[in-house]
Amino acid sequence: MEAASKQKVPLQNRLGIKGWVWAGRYKIERYLYTLHRLTGLGLAAYITIHLIANGFRLGGEGNWTDLMNIFSNPGIKVGEYLVMAAFIIHALNGGRLMLQHLGITLGKPKPPVYPYVDSMRRRRPLIWVMLTLMAALAIYTLVAFVIGE
Amino acid sequence: MREVHWKLLQYITGIGIFFLVGYHLIFSHFQSDEVTEWSSVSSRAASAGWFTFYVLILIFGIYHVLHGIRGIILEFSLPQSAVKALDWAIVLIGVAVFGYAVYIPINGFIS
Repeated sequence: MEAASKQKVPLQNRLGIKGWVWAGRYKIERYLYTLHRLTGLGLAAYITIHLIANGFRLGGEGNWTDLMNIFSNPGIKVGEYLVMAAFIIHALNGGRLMLQHLGITLGKPKPPVYPYVDSMRRRRPLIWVMLTLMAALAIYTLVAFVIGE
Repeated sequence: MREVHWKLLQYITGIGIFFLVGYHLIFSHFQSDEVTEWSSVSSRAASAGWFTFYVLILIFGIYHVLHGIRGIILEFSLPQSAVKALDWAIVLIGVAVFGYAVYIPINGFIS
């Protein structure tokens, strides 16, 4: 009974938000964790602005056209590109996390023969493939944005 | 529902958003500026297909964003009473945002 009640108390997160940046020798997976949160929060902020902007449609054609004139500003276009880049990073990393959480990319268990290879290192090629894909899509999107101007 | 079910819903909505928002972004940012013109916006608002598309994006998006933010906040070791308050706050925010946001396509569809 006592053990069951102890289980409900979560471990204290002593580092708080500082732990997103530094808590020792972080591996690349930990920085992807931080990037996933930052891009997620950035996209959430963008969606909030997008929904407020959508409300201008209720004001009729004049209001909408005025808003679209503001959005044709080059600074806004840079922001739109950052949104696309954040979407690419968040989506691809989210897909990787899903595959790992569901155990699909863990591979078969192996006997612990020296030199030991932990599951994180076995999955690392997937991370490099994902990062390459992220970079390629981000560059493709940038080119498409520049050509579209 | 247990935490694992909410997490599975996070994955399902994430996959849904990937396709829906991906299409939305490509459609509105890689096409010409005509898609944001009033005539184009009005004609899409009157379409049942686009109306369904917008409502689905809202449901998937609001759930995914709020559950994600909840996950970030829960990493800060909150007491159980605060977790309950947070859950209720998130439900109320979700319903309020959905109510506001869904009114816009409804208004466009019926007018």
